[in-house]
Amino acid sequence: MANLKETFLTPIFKGNPITVLVLGICSSLAVTVELKGAFVMALSVIAVTGLSSLVVSILRNTIPNRVRIIVQLVVVAMMVILVDQFLKAFAYGIDKQLSVYIGLIITNCIVMGRIEAFALGNKPLASLVDGLANGLGYGMILIIVAFFRELFGSGTLFGFPVLKAIGYTNNGLMILPPMALILLGCVIWVQRSIQKDLQEK
Amino acid sequence: MNTNSNTYTVVYSAIIVIVVAAILAFAAMSLNDRQVANMKAETIGQILTAAKIPSGESNAEIIATYKDQIAEAYTVDLKGAKVNELPAEDATIYTTSDLKAQNYNIADGVSAELPVYVFKNGTKVVPIYGAGLWGPVWGYVAITPDGKIAGATFDHASETPGLGGKIKDDPSFAAQFDGKAFDFSDAAPFAIVKGGAPAGKANAIDAITGATMTSKGLDVAINNWVKAYAPVLAGASSDCCKGEGKCCGCCAEGGCQEGNCCMDSEETNTEE
Repeated sequence: MANLKETFLTPIFKGNPITVLVLGICSSLAVTVELKGAFVMALSVIAVTGLSSLVVSILRNTIPNRVRIIVQLVVVAMMVILVDQFLKAFAYGIDKQLSVYIGLIITNCIVMGRIEAFALGNKPLASLVDGLANGLGYGMILIIVAFFRELFGSGTLFGFPVLKAIGYTNNGLMILPPMALILLGCVIWVQRSIQKDLQEK
Repeated sequence: MNTNSNTYTVVYSAIIVIVVAAILAFAAMSLNDRQVANMKAETIGQILTAAKIPSGESNAEIIATYKDQIAEAYTVDLKGAKVNELPAEDATIYTTSDLKAQNYNIADGVSAELPVYVFKNGTKVVPIYGAGLWGPVWGYVAITPDGKIAGATFDHASETPGLGGKIKDDPSFAAQFDGKAFDFSDAAPFAIVKGGAPAGKANAIDAITGATMTSKGLDVAINNWVKAYAPVLAGASSDCCKGEGKCCGCCAEGGCQEGNCCMDSEETNTEE
Protein backbone atom coordinates (compact mmCIF):
# COMPACT_ATOMS: atom_id res chain seq x y z
CA MET A 1 0.00 0.00 0.00
CA ALA A 2 2.88 2.36 0.77
CA ASN A 3 3.90 1.89 -2.82
CA LEU A 4 0.48 2.93 -4.14
CA LYS A 5 0.57 5.97 -1.90
CA GLU A 6 3.87 7.02 -3.36
CA THR A 7 2.59 6.37 -6.89
CA PHE A 8 -0.25 8.69 -6.05
CA LEU A 9 1.71 11.47 -4.34
CA THR A 10 4.73 11.71 -6.65
CA PRO A 11 2.92 13.20 -9.68
CA ILE A 12 1.14 15.73 -7.52
CA PHE A 13 4.25 17.50 -6.34
CA LYS A 14 7.68 15.87 -6.66
CA GLY A 15 7.13 14.63 -10.19
CA ASN A 16 4.41 16.99 -11.36
CA PRO A 17 3.75 16.44 -15.07
CA ILE A 18 3.69 20.15 -15.90
CA THR A 19 6.29 21.70 -13.63
CA VAL A 20 8.81 18.87 -13.48
CA LEU A 21 8.25 16.74 -16.59
CA VAL A 22 7.14 19.83 -18.58
CA LEU A 23 4.41 17.90 -20.41
CA GLY A 24 1.01 19.24 -21.41
CA ILE A 25 2.20 22.81 -21.76
CA CYS A 26 0.09 23.61 -24.85
CA SER A 27 -3.24 22.89 -23.25
CA SER A 28 -2.24 24.60 -20.03
CA LEU A 29 -1.72 27.77 -22.07
CA ALA A 30 -5.03 27.39 -23.88
CA VAL A 31 -7.55 26.61 -21.15
CA THR A 32 -6.31 28.77 -18.28
CA VAL A 33 -8.02 32.01 -19.26
CA GLU A 34 -10.95 31.23 -16.98
CA LEU A 35 -11.17 29.11 -13.84
CA LYS A 36 -14.35 27.31 -14.86
CA GLY A 37 -12.83 26.01 -18.09
CA ALA A 38 -9.63 25.01 -16.32
CA PHE A 39 -11.64 23.15 -13.71
CA VAL A 40 -13.66 21.05 -16.15
CA MET A 41 -10.59 20.48 -18.31
CA ALA A 42 -8.79 19.18 -15.21
CA LEU A 43 -11.65 16.79 -14.43
CA SER A 44 -11.77 15.56 -18.03
CA VAL A 45 -8.02 14.97 -18.14
CA ILE A 46 -8.15 13.11 -14.83
CA ALA A 47 -10.85 10.83 -16.26
CA VAL A 48 -8.96 10.25 -19.51
CA THR A 49 -5.52 9.64 -17.98
CA GLY A 50 -6.95 7.36 -15.32
CA LEU A 51 -9.16 5.27 -17.59
CA SER A 52 -6.76 4.96 -20.53
CA SER A 53 -3.89 3.99 -18.22
CA LEU A 54 -6.16 1.35 -16.73
CA VAL A 55 -7.24 -0.04 -20.09
CA VAL A 56 -3.75 -0.08 -21.56
CA SER A 57 -2.41 -1.71 -18.41
CA ILE A 58 -5.01 -4.48 -18.67
CA LEU A 59 -4.02 -5.03 -22.30
CA ARG A 60 -0.30 -4.54 -21.71
CA ASN A 61 0.79 -8.18 -22.13
CA THR A 62 -1.14 -8.62 -25.35
CA ILE A 63 -0.15 -5.44 -27.20
CA PRO A 64 2.30 -6.14 -30.08
CA ASN A 65 5.38 -4.05 -29.44
CA ARG A 66 5.66 -2.62 -32.96
CA VAL A 67 2.19 -1.06 -33.00
CA ARG A 68 1.93 -0.18 -29.32
CA ILE A 69 1.86 3.60 -29.88
CA ILE A 70 -1.04 3.30 -32.30
CA VAL A 71 -2.92 0.98 -29.98
CA GLN A 72 -2.42 3.44 -27.10
CA LEU A 73 -3.57 6.27 -29.32
CA VAL A 74 -6.74 4.40 -30.26
CA VAL A 75 -7.53 3.75 -26.60
CA VAL A 76 -6.88 7.37 -25.63
CA ALA A 77 -8.93 8.68 -28.55
CA MET A 78 -11.79 6.41 -27.58
CA MET A 79 -11.73 7.69 -23.99
CA VAL A 80 -11.66 11.30 -25.13
CA ILE A 81 -14.60 10.82 -27.46
CA LEU A 82 -16.51 9.02 -24.71
CA VAL A 83 -15.85 11.88 -22.28
CA ASP A 84 -17.02 14.34 -24.94
CA GLN A 85 -20.17 12.35 -25.67
CA PHE A 86 -21.04 12.00 -22.00
CA LEU A 87 -20.51 15.71 -21.36
CA LYS A 88 -22.72 16.51 -24.36
CA ALA A 89 -25.47 14.33 -22.98
CA PHE A 90 -25.25 15.14 -19.28
CA ALA A 91 -23.39 18.46 -18.93
CA TYR A 92 -24.19 20.20 -22.17
CA GLY A 93 -23.35 23.74 -21.07
CA ILE A 94 -19.89 22.77 -19.89
CA ASP A 95 -19.19 20.77 -23.01
CA LYS A 96 -20.04 23.79 -25.14
CA GLN A 97 -17.49 25.85 -23.24
CA LEU A 98 -14.76 23.29 -23.67
CA SER A 99 -15.66 21.80 -27.04
CA VAL A 100 -12.33 22.42 -28.74
CA TYR A 101 -10.19 21.64 -25.75
CA ILE A 102 -11.83 18.30 -25.01
CA GLY A 103 -10.63 17.10 -28.42
CA LEU A 104 -7.19 18.41 -27.61
CA ILE A 105 -6.84 16.03 -24.65
CA ILE A 106 -5.78 13.45 -27.25
CA THR A 107 -2.72 15.53 -28.00
CA ASN A 108 -1.94 16.03 -24.32
CA CYS A 109 1.53 14.53 -23.83
CA ILE A 110 0.73 13.56 -20.26
CA VAL A 111 -1.75 10.90 -21.33
CA MET A 112 0.55 9.19 -23.82
CA GLY A 113 3.59 9.85 -21.66
CA ARG A 114 2.18 8.10 -18.62
CA ILE A 115 0.94 5.17 -20.68
CA GLU A 116 4.37 4.68 -22.25
CA ALA A 117 6.29 5.25 -19.03
CA PHE A 118 4.06 3.59 -16.49
CA ALA A 119 0.97 1.71 -17.62
CA LEU A 120 2.83 -0.56 -20.05
CA GLY A 121 4.96 -1.96 -17.24
CA ASN A 122 2.66 -1.97 -14.22
CA LYS A 123 -0.42 -3.68 -12.86
CA PRO A 124 -3.87 -2.18 -13.61
CA LEU A 125 -4.54 -0.79 -10.12
CA ALA A 126 -1.19 0.98 -9.89
CA SER A 127 -1.64 2.31 -13.41
CA LEU A 128 -5.10 3.66 -12.60
CA VAL A 129 -3.71 5.45 -9.53
CA ASP A 130 -0.79 6.79 -11.53
CA GLY A 131 -3.10 8.06 -14.27
CA LEU A 132 -5.49 9.73 -11.85
CA ALA A 133 -2.66 11.32 -9.88
CA ASN A 134 -1.02 12.70 -12.99
CA GLY A 135 -4.33 14.17 -14.09
CA LEU A 136 -4.67 15.66 -10.63
CA GLY A 137 -1.16 17.13 -10.70
CA TYR A 138 -1.91 18.61 -14.11
CA GLY A 139 -5.25 20.00 -12.98
CA MET A 140 -3.72 21.58 -9.90
CA ILE A 141 -1.24 23.64 -11.91
CA LEU A 142 -4.01 24.50 -14.39
CA ILE A 143 -6.16 25.91 -11.61
CA ILE A 144 -3.27 27.87 -10.05
CA VAL A 145 -2.45 29.50 -13.38
CA ALA A 146 -6.12 30.07 -14.25
CA PHE A 147 -6.71 31.67 -10.86
CA PHE A 148 -4.14 34.40 -11.51
CA ARG A 149 -5.06 34.84 -15.16
CA GLU A 150 -8.78 35.22 -14.53
CA LEU A 151 -8.26 37.38 -11.44
CA PHE A 152 -5.91 39.88 -13.06
CA GLY A 153 -7.04 39.48 -16.68
CA SER A 154 -10.79 39.75 -16.23
CA GLY A 155 -11.06 40.82 -12.59
CA THR A 156 -13.33 37.88 -11.87
CA LEU A 157 -13.19 34.45 -10.22
CA PHE A 158 -15.46 31.74 -11.63
CA GLY A 159 -17.20 34.60 -13.43
CA PHE A 160 -17.98 36.62 -10.30
CA PRO A 161 -16.55 40.15 -10.34
CA VAL A 162 -13.94 40.45 -7.59
CA LEU A 163 -11.55 43.26 -8.41
CA LYS A 164 -14.00 45.68 -10.04
CA ALA A 165 -15.03 47.07 -6.66
CA ILE A 166 -11.55 48.39 -5.89
CA GLY A 167 -11.20 50.06 -9.27
CA TYR A 168 -8.87 47.55 -10.90
CA THR A 169 -8.33 47.88 -14.64
CA ASN A 170 -8.13 44.53 -16.41
CA ASN A 171 -4.71 43.59 -17.70
CA GLY A 172 -5.19 42.39 -21.29
CA LEU A 173 -1.79 40.68 -21.32
CA MET A 174 -3.01 38.21 -18.69
CA ILE A 175 -5.60 36.87 -21.13
CA LEU A 176 -3.08 36.21 -23.89
CA PRO A 177 -1.12 32.92 -24.00
CA PRO A 178 2.37 34.43 -23.37
CA MET A 179 1.32 35.39 -19.87
CA ALA A 180 0.36 31.79 -19.15
CA LEU A 181 3.90 30.79 -20.06
CA ILE A 182 5.35 33.45 -17.76
CA LEU A 183 3.04 32.41 -14.91
CA LEU A 184 3.95 28.78 -15.49
CA GLY A 185 7.60 29.81 -15.25
CA CYS A 186 6.86 31.46 -11.93
CA VAL A 187 5.14 28.31 -10.64
CA ILE A 188 8.17 26.22 -11.68
CA TRP A 189 10.45 28.74 -9.99
CA VAL A 190 8.49 28.51 -6.73
CA GLN A 191 8.54 24.72 -6.85
CA ARG A 192 12.27 24.56 -7.53
CA SER A 193 13.08 26.89 -4.68
CA ILE A 194 11.10 24.62 -2.34
CA GLN A 195 12.38 21.37 -3.80
CA LYS A 196 16.14 21.86 -3.89
CA ASP A 197 17.02 18.54 -5.56
CA LEU A 198 15.48 19.78 -8.84
CA GLN A 199 17.98 22.63 -9.11
CA GLU A 200 20.78 22.16 -11.59
CA LYS A 201 24.26 22.65 -10.14
CA MET B 1 2.25 -16.73 -27.98
CA ASN B 2 4.61 -14.65 -30.06
CA THR B 3 3.12 -11.17 -29.82
CA ASN B 4 5.60 -9.80 -32.34
CA SER B 5 4.65 -11.92 -35.33
CA ASN B 6 3.12 -10.17 -38.33
CA THR B 7 -0.12 -12.15 -38.25
CA TYR B 8 -0.65 -11.42 -34.56
CA THR B 9 0.03 -7.71 -35.06
CA VAL B 10 -2.43 -7.39 -37.93
CA VAL B 11 -5.17 -9.45 -36.27
CA TYR B 12 -4.70 -7.63 -32.96
CA SER B 13 -4.89 -4.20 -34.58
CA ALA B 14 -8.01 -5.17 -36.50
CA ILE B 15 -9.74 -6.47 -33.38
CA ILE B 16 -8.85 -3.39 -31.34
CA VAL B 17 -10.16 -1.05 -34.00
CA ILE B 18 -13.41 -2.97 -34.41
CA VAL B 19 -13.99 -3.16 -30.65
CA VAL B 20 -13.32 0.55 -30.20
CA ALA B 21 -15.55 1.43 -33.14
CA ALA B 22 -18.34 -0.69 -31.67
CA ILE B 23 -18.04 0.97 -28.25
CA LEU B 24 -18.08 4.45 -29.77
CA ALA B 25 -21.00 3.66 -32.08
CA PHE B 26 -22.95 2.29 -29.15
CA ALA B 27 -22.19 5.36 -27.01
CA ALA B 28 -23.11 7.74 -29.81
CA MET B 29 -26.39 5.98 -30.52
CA SER B 30 -27.49 5.57 -26.94
CA LEU B 31 -26.64 9.17 -25.99
CA ASN B 32 -27.95 10.74 -29.19
CA ASP B 33 -31.48 11.43 -27.96
CA ARG B 34 -30.26 13.26 -24.89
CA GLN B 35 -27.75 15.25 -26.90
CA VAL B 36 -30.31 16.36 -29.46
CA ALA B 37 -32.75 17.30 -26.70
CA ASN B 38 -30.05 19.33 -24.98
CA MET B 39 -29.18 21.14 -28.18
CA LYS B 40 -32.81 21.93 -28.91
CA ALA B 41 -33.50 23.17 -25.40
CA GLU B 42 -30.39 25.34 -25.54
CA THR B 43 -31.49 26.98 -28.79
CA ILE B 44 -35.00 27.55 -27.50
CA GLY B 45 -33.49 28.94 -24.31
CA GLN B 46 -31.51 31.42 -26.40
CA ILE B 47 -34.63 32.45 -28.33
CA LEU B 48 -36.50 33.01 -25.06
CA THR B 49 -33.59 34.92 -23.52
CA ALA B 50 -33.44 37.19 -26.56
CA ALA B 51 -37.15 37.88 -26.23
CA LYS B 52 -36.62 38.58 -22.51
CA ILE B 53 -39.05 35.85 -21.54
CA PRO B 54 -37.93 34.26 -18.27
CA SER B 55 -37.60 30.50 -18.51
CA GLY B 56 -36.34 27.89 -16.10
CA GLU B 57 -33.01 26.11 -16.11
CA SER B 58 -34.11 22.59 -17.01
CA ASN B 59 -34.84 21.43 -20.54
CA ALA B 60 -38.46 20.62 -19.70
CA GLU B 61 -39.12 24.07 -18.23
CA ILE B 62 -37.60 25.81 -21.26
CA ILE B 63 -39.70 23.81 -23.73
CA ALA B 64 -42.85 24.34 -21.65
CA THR B 65 -42.26 28.12 -21.49
CA TYR B 66 -41.74 28.22 -25.23
CA LYS B 67 -44.93 26.34 -25.98
CA ASP B 68 -46.79 28.56 -23.56
CA GLN B 69 -45.51 31.87 -24.93
CA ILE B 70 -45.20 31.31 -28.67
CA ALA B 71 -47.93 32.82 -30.84
CA GLU B 72 -46.72 31.50 -34.17
CA ALA B 73 -43.51 30.43 -35.82
CA TYR B 74 -43.04 30.32 -39.55
CA THR B 75 -40.43 30.64 -42.25
CA VAL B 76 -40.22 33.45 -44.78
CA ASP B 77 -38.40 33.85 -48.07
CA LEU B 78 -36.22 36.82 -48.96
CA LYS B 79 -39.26 38.87 -49.99
CA GLY B 80 -40.85 38.37 -46.61
CA ALA B 81 -43.60 36.03 -47.81
CA LYS B 82 -44.53 33.10 -45.59
CA VAL B 83 -43.28 29.74 -46.80
CA ASN B 84 -43.93 27.23 -44.04
CA GLU B 85 -45.35 26.98 -40.57
CA LEU B 86 -43.13 25.75 -37.76
CA PRO B 87 -45.70 24.06 -35.49
CA ALA B 88 -45.42 25.31 -31.91
CA GLU B 89 -46.30 21.96 -30.38
CA ASP B 90 -43.19 20.39 -31.94
CA ALA B 91 -41.09 23.39 -30.90
CA THR B 92 -39.34 23.16 -34.27
CA ILE B 93 -36.06 25.03 -34.32
CA TYR B 94 -33.26 25.62 -36.74
CA THR B 95 -29.97 23.99 -35.79
CA THR B 96 -26.69 25.74 -36.50
CA SER B 97 -26.24 23.61 -39.62
CA ASP B 98 -29.69 24.71 -40.83
CA LEU B 99 -28.68 28.32 -40.21
CA LYS B 100 -25.44 27.74 -42.08
CA ALA B 101 -27.38 26.46 -45.10
CA GLN B 102 -29.66 29.51 -44.97
CA ASN B 103 -26.61 31.75 -44.68
CA TYR B 104 -25.49 30.48 -48.10
CA ASN B 105 -29.01 31.06 -49.44
CA ILE B 106 -28.93 34.66 -48.24
CA ALA B 107 -25.55 35.18 -49.85
CA ASP B 108 -26.87 33.75 -53.13
CA GLY B 109 -29.95 35.93 -52.82
CA VAL B 110 -32.16 33.46 -54.68
CA SER B 111 -34.26 31.44 -52.29
CA ALA B 112 -34.22 31.08 -48.57
CA GLU B 113 -36.42 29.81 -45.78
CA LEU B 114 -35.73 31.96 -42.78
CA PRO B 115 -37.40 31.22 -39.44
CA VAL B 116 -39.35 33.88 -37.55
CA TYR B 117 -40.61 33.24 -34.02
CA VAL B 118 -43.49 35.48 -32.94
CA PHE B 119 -44.36 35.52 -29.25
CA LYS B 120 -47.68 36.38 -27.67
CA ASN B 121 -46.43 39.80 -26.56
CA GLY B 122 -45.80 40.65 -30.23
CA THR B 123 -42.02 40.28 -30.03
CA LYS B 124 -40.46 38.73 -33.14
CA VAL B 125 -37.25 36.74 -32.74
CA VAL B 126 -34.99 36.08 -35.72
CA PRO B 127 -31.65 34.28 -35.91
CA ILE B 128 -28.38 35.61 -37.27
CA TYR B 129 -25.42 33.55 -38.43
CA GLY B 130 -21.97 34.32 -39.77
CA ALA B 131 -18.24 33.81 -39.47
CA GLY B 132 -16.32 34.87 -36.39
CA LEU B 133 -12.56 34.60 -36.09
CA TRP B 134 -12.08 30.85 -35.54
CA GLY B 135 -15.49 29.49 -36.43
CA PRO B 136 -19.14 30.34 -36.84
CA VAL B 137 -20.94 32.85 -34.64
CA TRP B 138 -24.71 32.94 -34.37
CA GLY B 139 -27.44 34.33 -32.21
CA TYR B 140 -30.99 35.55 -31.88
CA VAL B 141 -32.32 39.09 -31.96
CA ALA B 142 -35.76 40.01 -30.64
CA ILE B 143 -37.69 42.97 -32.03
CA THR B 144 -40.70 44.47 -30.28
CA PRO B 145 -43.80 45.51 -32.26
CA ASP B 146 -42.65 49.14 -32.22
CA GLY B 147 -39.38 48.27 -33.95
CA LYS B 148 -37.05 48.41 -30.96
CA ILE B 149 -34.61 45.61 -30.17
CA ALA B 150 -35.92 43.85 -27.09
CA GLY B 151 -32.81 41.79 -26.56
CA ALA B 152 -30.19 39.61 -28.17
CA THR B 153 -28.23 36.48 -27.39
CA PHE B 154 -25.14 35.25 -29.15
CA ASP B 155 -23.21 32.05 -29.28
CA HIS B 156 -20.07 30.82 -30.97
CA ALA B 157 -18.30 27.60 -31.79
CA SER B 158 -14.69 28.43 -30.99
CA GLU B 159 -14.01 32.10 -30.31
CA THR B 160 -11.20 32.88 -27.84
CA PRO B 161 -12.50 32.70 -24.26
CA GLY B 162 -12.16 36.06 -22.55
CA LEU B 163 -11.92 37.95 -25.86
CA GLY B 164 -14.27 37.00 -28.70
CA GLY B 165 -16.00 34.59 -26.35
CA LYS B 166 -17.47 37.62 -24.59
CA ILE B 167 -20.22 37.83 -27.21
CA LYS B 168 -21.69 34.93 -25.28
CA ASP B 169 -20.09 35.05 -21.84
CA ASP B 170 -20.22 38.76 -21.06
CA PRO B 171 -23.86 39.74 -20.48
CA SER B 172 -22.99 43.42 -20.78
CA PHE B 173 -22.18 42.95 -24.47
CA ALA B 174 -25.58 41.56 -25.44
CA ALA B 175 -27.24 44.04 -23.07
CA GLN B 176 -26.02 46.87 -25.30
CA PHE B 177 -28.59 45.81 -27.88
CA ASP B 178 -31.54 46.46 -25.56
CA GLY B 179 -33.55 49.44 -26.74
CA LYS B 180 -31.56 49.94 -29.94
CA ALA B 181 -33.21 49.75 -33.36
CA PHE B 182 -32.30 48.72 -36.88
CA ASP B 183 -32.19 51.54 -39.40
CA PHE B 184 -33.20 50.08 -42.75
CA SER B 185 -32.61 53.36 -44.57
CA ASP B 186 -28.91 52.93 -43.82
CA ALA B 187 -26.65 50.75 -46.01
CA ALA B 188 -25.83 48.81 -42.85
CA PRO B 189 -28.90 48.55 -40.62
CA PHE B 190 -26.71 48.01 -37.57
CA ALA B 191 -23.10 48.67 -36.63
CA ILE B 192 -20.70 47.26 -34.05
CA VAL B 193 -18.17 50.04 -33.85
CA LYS B 194 -14.51 49.56 -32.98
CA GLY B 195 -13.40 52.28 -30.60
CA GLY B 196 -16.90 52.90 -29.33
CA ALA B 197 -20.25 53.79 -30.86
CA PRO B 198 -21.07 57.48 -31.19
CA ALA B 199 -23.29 58.61 -28.35
CA GLY B 200 -26.98 58.74 -29.15
CA LYS B 201 -26.80 56.61 -32.30
CA ALA B 202 -29.71 54.23 -32.14
CA ASN B 203 -28.29 51.54 -34.40
CA ALA B 204 -24.72 51.17 -33.15
CA ILE B 205 -23.00 49.55 -30.18
CA ASP B 206 -19.42 49.24 -28.91
CA ALA B 207 -17.21 46.45 -30.22
CA ILE B 208 -15.29 44.18 -27.85
CA THR B 209 -11.80 45.24 -26.89
CA GLY B 210 -9.24 42.73 -28.15
CA ALA B 211 -11.76 40.94 -30.34
CA THR B 212 -11.76 43.00 -33.53
CA MET B 213 -12.31 40.07 -35.86
CA THR B 214 -15.12 38.54 -33.83
CA SER B 215 -16.84 41.91 -33.55
CA LYS B 216 -16.50 42.49 -37.29
CA GLY B 217 -17.77 39.00 -38.06
CA LEU B 218 -20.78 39.52 -35.83
CA ASP B 219 -21.40 42.91 -37.44
CA VAL B 220 -21.43 41.32 -40.90
CA ALA B 221 -23.62 38.44 -39.68
CA ILE B 222 -26.18 40.78 -38.15
CA ASN B 223 -26.31 43.04 -41.19
CA ASN B 224 -26.57 40.19 -43.71
CA TRP B 225 -29.38 38.52 -41.87
CA VAL B 226 -31.26 41.60 -40.79
CA LYS B 227 -31.22 42.85 -44.36
CA ALA B 228 -32.62 39.49 -45.47
CA TYR B 229 -35.34 39.92 -42.86
CA ALA B 230 -35.96 43.56 -43.81
CA PRO B 231 -39.45 42.91 -45.28
CA VAL B 232 -40.53 41.27 -42.05
CA LEU B 233 -38.76 43.51 -39.57
CA ALA B 234 -39.23 46.84 -41.32
CA GLY B 235 -42.93 46.01 -41.28
CA ALA B 236 -42.76 45.76 -37.54
CA SER B 237 -41.21 49.18 -37.27
CA SER B 238 -43.34 52.23 -36.60
CA ASP B 239 -41.13 54.07 -39.10
CA CYS B 240 -42.86 52.31 -41.99
CA CYS B 241 -45.93 54.39 -41.40
CA LYS B 242 -44.22 57.75 -41.58
CA GLY B 243 -46.79 60.37 -40.68
CA GLU B 244 -49.64 58.03 -41.37
CA GLY B 245 -50.25 56.94 -37.83
CA LYS B 246 -49.14 53.83 -36.10
CA CYS B 247 -48.49 50.44 -37.48
CA CYS B 248 -51.13 48.02 -36.30
CA GLY B 249 -49.27 44.78 -36.71
CA CYS B 250 -50.87 44.04 -40.04
CA CYS B 251 -47.78 45.59 -41.61
CA ALA B 252 -46.00 42.36 -40.83
CA GLU B 253 -47.93 40.48 -43.51
CA GLY B 254 -47.79 42.92 -46.37
CA GLY B 255 -44.74 45.02 -45.54
CA CYS B 256 -44.87 48.79 -45.69
CA GLN B 257 -47.79 49.26 -48.02
CA GLU B 258 -50.66 51.63 -48.11
CA GLY B 259 -53.56 50.60 -46.00
CA ASN B 260 -51.38 48.82 -43.48
CA CYS B 261 -51.19 51.83 -41.24
CA CYS B 262 -53.85 52.79 -38.81
CA MET B 263 -54.60 56.30 -37.68
CA ASP B 264 -56.31 55.13 -34.55
CA SER B 265 -53.72 54.30 -31.92
CA GLU B 266 -56.23 52.11 -30.10
CA GLU B 267 -56.16 49.60 -32.87
CA THR B 268 -52.59 48.72 -31.96
CA ASN B 269 -53.96 47.02 -28.89
CA THR B 270 -56.69 45.05 -30.59
CA GLU B 271 -54.11 42.61 -31.86
CA GLU B 272 -54.02 40.93 -28.48
